[in-house]
Parts: sequence; structure tokens; C-alpha cells
Amino acid sequence: MRPEAPALLFLAVLGAAFTLTSDRFLSATNLESILVSVAVLGTIALAVNQVILCGEIDISTGSMMGLCAVAAGAVAVSYGGLILPLLAGVGVGALAGAVNGFLVTVGRIPSIIVTLGMLYALRGVILLVTGGTWITGIPESARVLGTGSTFGIGYPVILLFVLFLIMELVSRHSTWGRNVFAVGGNRRAARFAGLPIDRVRFLAFVLVGVFVGVASVVYLGRAGSVQTNTGTGLELQAVAAVVIGGTSISGGRGSSLAALTGAVLIGVILNGLVLLGVPGIWQQAVLGALILLAVATDVLRRRLVGDKA
Amino acid sequence: MSLSGDPGAQRAATVGEEPAVFRLRNVTKHFGGVTAVEEVGFDLRPGEVHALVGENGAGKSTLMKMVHGLYRPDEGMLEVGGEVVEFSSPRDAETAGIAMIPQELDLFPELSVTENLFVGRPRPRTGWGGLDRNAMRAEARRRLSSLGVDLDVTTTVKRLSAANQQIVAIARALVGEAQAVVMDEPTASLTERETQQLFGIISDLTSGGVGVVYISHRLEEVFAISDRITVLRDGHHITTAPTSELDAEELVRLMVGRPLHELFTRSASSPGEVTLEVRGLSRAGEFEDVDLVVRRGEIVGLSGLVGAGRSELAQSIFGIHSPEAGEIRIDGDGVRIRSPQAAMEQGIFYVPEERRSQGLILPFSIKNNITLSILDRISRFGFVPRGERQTADRFARELSIRGAKVSDPVNRLSGGNQQKVVLAKSLAREPQILLLDEPTRGIDVGAKSEIYRLIDDLAKEGKAILLISSELEEVLSMSDRIVVMREGRVTGEFARGEASQEQVMTAATGGKDRQASNGSREETSRDE
Repeated sequence: MRPEAPALLFLAVLGAAFTLTSDRFLSATNLESILVSVAVLGTIALAVNQVILCGEIDISTGSMMGLCAVAAGAVAVSYGGLILPLLAGVGVGALAGAVNGFLVTVGRIPSIIVTLGMLYALRGVILLVTGGTWITGIPESARVLGTGSTFGIGYPVILLFVLFLIMELVSRHSTWGRNVFAVGGNRRAARFAGLPIDRVRFLAFVLVGVFVGVASVVYLGRAGSVQTNTGTGLELQAVAAVVIGGTSISGGRGSSLAALTGAVLIGVILNGLVLLGVPGIWQQAVLGALILLAVATDVLRRRLVGDKA
Repeated sequence: MSLSGDPGAQRAATVGEEPAVFRLRNVTKHFGGVTAVEEVGFDLRPGEVHALVGENGAGKSTLMKMVHGLYRPDEGMLEVGGEVVEFSSPRDAETAGIAMIPQELDLFPELSVTENLFVGRPRPRTGWGGLDRNAMRAEARRRLSSLGVDLDVTTTVKRLSAANQQIVAIARALVGEAQAVVMDEPTASLTERETQQLFGIISDLTSGGVGVVYISHRLEEVFAISDRITVLRDGHHITTAPTSELDAEELVRLMVGRPLHELFTRSASSPGEVTLEVRGLSRAGEFEDVDLVVRRGEIVGLSGLVGAGRSELAQSIFGIHSPEAGEIRIDGDGVRIRSPQAAMEQGIFYVPEERRSQGLILPFSIKNNITLSILDRISRFGFVPRGERQTADRFARELSIRGAKVSDPVNRLSGGNQQKVVLAKSLAREPQILLLDEPTRGIDVGAKSEIYRLIDDLAKEGKAILLISSELEEVLSMSDRIVVMREGRVTGEFARGEASQEQVMTAATGGKDRQASNGSREETSRDE
């Protein structure tokens, strides 16, 4: 069975249920707005997925996106245009990801500790750089990735799908993509097979930085301003999307489609709850239950196939 | 006793049978569509060592797991002391006096010896209701000394040698007056001397009336220690006979179901130039001042006890842990090898001894495992080409990997075929120097024979082969030259035909222990 199959099935059942209970759910505009709402999360989840696949974790993406948005926003305010802010966001993200990757591979520190530290450190950097003030007055040119659309489909959605297709291709057919699975599946055996396990993991962390940088410009466009708490909580949502989608939290098994499915599932649930008039205070509880369900499914699957590895 | 069926027939079946500690009658066990064991009978008498042999997948472990309450038979029944019983858990089996020491020890490495003995069992309490640690330690000491060993019961288990861990597992299994003990491959990680120690413990047990089921791939051990032998093949009961009525050749024939003229294949060889040369190689605490030379087309056997530093040496040559002193030369040129990638660039490949934890990516397909180490070579612009499948197919064919398609998970293969995948992975890289670490450990006779033929072919092609092996027969039969290590140092070197088992053992043990592996049972018991 494919790793994302339970999540896809669940998505279909949930979609059918919301379609029956709300006549607004299954409309082109509603579906598009769901996808726009999860574009930032989905983009980050696609990269975090690779980190989790190779047996590591990254919980620094919330603050990282905040910092990327600060960089992109400041550049946008000073210079305008789209390319320069995008380069600033991606550059800062790649640098932060490289620091994560360096500490994990060369420093031999567990990734949960490294990225937890970075989660706080980067938030601290945001406060130091901005002095606690918001960045506002982002020019329209820099907001295109968040606000633009073509044929009625928002750029965030198009971007998400393009990145998804690229990641599917890379994950399935590239050497690095294959090595990510090998390192996550059995790091010792990967080492004995002569795979560059440090380079494989380092690149995964840098990829997260790059994707977070791209996502920050989408965010910038949608929000139009950057606050000091931008991105808070996103780090765990990204991990949740990956796990809910069906990628194994212990690495070695999963897919890009799983990460995408998980992100969309989160979007559909939040949207459906709103349409059904469920009070917003239920959102967290429902998401939490979903994560537990996803992990339980993974554990159950392992028991069924007798996989002790 | 169950009254179902004809009582007269039941009595007829019981009359004339030897008393048994336990008896399996016509048991069958299916897993999904696969029949693991079919209508097998097996009995264990008090005070006997009953060897259970067969190739991997013959059903030995499945059969014994039914005795130990891990599986329930689909058909047939289990009797203990003449009564039909149904176990629903290993705890039931242990209550009934049947203990099992599994192949992979289920000890808690971070806990002390004492704690390990009491895990899951009632512990002595003080008057205040707290744990009575003194009483626990005293009980632990008493139990270990009854096995004739003297261990510090407060050490954590991970610091013990493999043999002592085995003894702790036995001590744990024996708690509560076991009448039957099942040992699954107990000597797999033991040295020759430790094996003899285990045999001593077994004979103490049997002289006290305990029955022992001994599962092993090592036939010389089976002949040395068992009273009766039961052979399983493909889940069927082939025979049960007194050990004295069987010889090794006959036993192998019964196990593999075809005559096996020669297990080992070694053609006449004419080694060429020196290709791998190691001078004064040292790594603190692992090996010291090692000199070693391997020529093209030569098989050099590296013998020694477990822990002699052989694997560590090979791994250093392969760049896993860099040596601290000394030099490595390839074809006369000094090289620095700081990573496995660098070693592979020099044409060196190391095949690790732990198949599942070091050799294979278990969630991967057979194909992805075979091509693991050549992806960087065959890929174009960072992408894996379609030709990958043909490469995998070719190696699967050349090494006759059987039992699954190359696109199936590698998990689906038997141990022997998994080992062929590990070898295929290294051969795909076309190494000139192969470091093989226990390449036939824990695999069945048929696969062993195929792997020996393969190693012989590789030597004929001119590859230099370092064969690390704890099986003396294997080293003696396959090697052109034998190098022996003890406690990190080279202690002996013998040319082909020059070495006897005794000489190699003396070099490996320092002469203190000359007990060779083919010692008979009488010798074993006299030794105590």
C-alpha cells in the first residue's frame, strides 16, 4: 500500500461528507480558496517531508519563515520588484537551513535539539532586527506571488503544484531523492554502502530553507505586512501535515504526495469546520485528534506487516 | 486430557511411547497462504539434548514458538507431561516449565544483570514494601553460580561479552524450575571457548533431568552435543534419529534434500601481484601494528575470536573509522582513506557481517538495494536512468537470487538470498579488493555453497579477497593463506594446507585453550 493512501481515502470521505452537509463546499471558488490558504503550509511541508524521510526533523520553520519574510519585506520596501525580495527571502532561508544542516551533520547534534534552538534563536533575531516593529507598506510588485492569479487560479496554488511536481520528480528519480530514503531507512547500511549521508542530510535542511524562503514571499503577498510573530506555530503544522499525509515520522517511508495530501487535509478540515459553523475554538482539538489518528495508522500498519525495522 | 476422539486409539498411541517433557502431535501452522509447518511431530525427553536442524525457512523457529506459546498451532496439539495444553502466551509456557532463549537475546542492555534476571518476575520486598536489593543480588548470584559462572551482578548487561550475555539469558530462562529449554542458535555470536563453556552448562542441565532443544546451523556442534536429531525441510518432518546413527554427509543430504558432494568450492589458484598492503596499522583499543598483504586472485582468510579486532580492521581499511597510525597501500601507492566513498574510489568494498542492520535498506526493493552503491556512477545529471532495472536484473541472475522479483521488497527474501543481494550490491561497484565479513553467517547450506562458488569465481577473475570468518572449516577450505588475529594483533600466518584447526585455534586463543571445534561429547564433559 502506498504511504499516502489512508490520507487520500480520508480526504475523499471528508470531502464527500462536507459536500453533503454544506452546499458551499464543492464550489470552484471554495476549493481554490482552500488551496490558497494551505499554499504556504504545503510548500514548507514538501521540504520538511524530505528532512523527515531521511530520519531527521526540522521544527525551526516557523521562526525561519518569519525571518525570511522580514528580509523579503525589508528589501521589498526599499527596492520594490519581486526578484530582489524573493532572493532575499530564499537567501536568508538557505543560510538558516545550512546552519541547521551543519550543526546536525558536522556538529553531530540531534536535529530535534538543533532546530528547537534555532526556533528560538531565529525569533530572537527577528526581534533584534525589527526592534519589535511591523514591516508595512509592501509594494504591489512584491505581493504578486500572494495576490496574483491566472485563469481564476491563484499564483500560490500554481506555485504549490509546480513545487510538488518538482519534488515528486526529484524524490522518485534523482540520486539524492533515492539516497534520502536510504539514509532514513537504515543509516548504518547507507554508510556501509558508501553513501554520502552527511551531504544527503545537509541538502535536505538547505532545501527546507529555500522552500521556506519561497513560502515567505507568498505569505508577504497575502498578508501585506510582516509582524514579529509571523509564522508562529507553522513549524509544528508542517510536521503535522507530513505525518498526517502518511510519511513515517521515523523516516524511510513516505512521499511528496503524502506531504501535499496532509496539508490539503488540514485546509479542508479547517474550511469544513467554518462552513459547518463549528466554533473556532474546536480547531486545535480536531487537528490534534487528526495527528494522533495518523500516527496510530502508521503504527498499526507496521504491526500488520510485521515490520520491526 | 482431552476426551475428544476415540479413547481407545488415544491409549494405543500413548502405550509404548517414551515419557516426554513435551510432545507435539501433527502440528500445522499457516501464515496467510504460506504453510510454515505441516503435520510435524516432535518430542523432548527428560535429560536429552535434541537437536533441531534444517535450512532457513524449514520451520524450526516456528515449531518452537508453538511450544513456547508465541504461536498457536492451527492443527494438532501440544502435550506437556502427558496432558494436552493450550498456551496463550510465553508466560503460560514458562509456568509449565518450558523456557526459550531466542536467537536475538531480549535482554535490557542498560539494566544490571540482577535487574535483567528479575524483569517481569516477582521481586523480593523488604518489610516496608520497597525492593529488597540485597536479596535480589543474592538470588542473582546464586542462580549464576549454579550455572558455574562468576559474574558481577551489578554490571550493566551492555558491558558484558556476548557469551556472558548469553549466560544471563539462560539464567533468566531457567528461573522457576524449567523442565525444557529451547535454545535457538545459541552459539551464533560465541567464540569457540565460550561455546565450550555453554556446552558445559548444557550438560549440567541435562544431568539434572532438563531436556534441551538445540537449534543450530553448525553441524559439528550438533554432533558434539546432541543425543537425537530431528530434521525439518520446507515445513515437513523428514526424520528423527539418534545422533549416533547419522553422519554429517547424511545429515546435510537430509536437510537440503539432495546429495551435496562438496560444500566448498576452491579451484587451484595462482595469486598475482600484491594489491592491498597494510603496514603497522593501529587504532587504539581495536587493533595494533597490523601488517597484511593481499594479492590479486588470492583469498586471505582472517581468523580469530569475536572481538579480536578483525571487523574493526576491515572497517578501517574501508574508511569507516580512520586508522590512527600506519599506512595503507594500493598497488604500491600509499593512499589516505577517510571515508567509504574514498575507499570505493580505490576499488575497495567491505561487505558487513550484520546483514539486516548494516547490509540492507530493508524497506527498499531488491533492485534499489543492488544499485545502492552505484547510483552516483550510473546517474545522469543527478537522475537515475532507466537502465537501472537491467543492471539489477543482471546481478539478480548472476547471483541466482531466488524467491522474489527485483521490484519486490528485499524483506521478502530468505536470509541466504538477502545475503546474495548484499553481495550483488558490492559486486555492482566492480571492486578489485573485497573485504568479506562473515559472508555466510546464519544462512542455509544451499546458499552457503552458492556463495563459496561465487567467492571462488571472484578470485579466479583476479579480485583480491579478505575473508573474515569465525568458522574454521570455511577459512581452512577457502583460503590461500590464513592470517590469525588475537586481541588486535596478528598472531599467526599459515599457507594453504599448512594449517590445522588446532594451530589456527592456538594462534587465535594464545594457546590457553586448545579445544578444537570437533571435540566429541566425551571430551566436552571431561573438560569440566
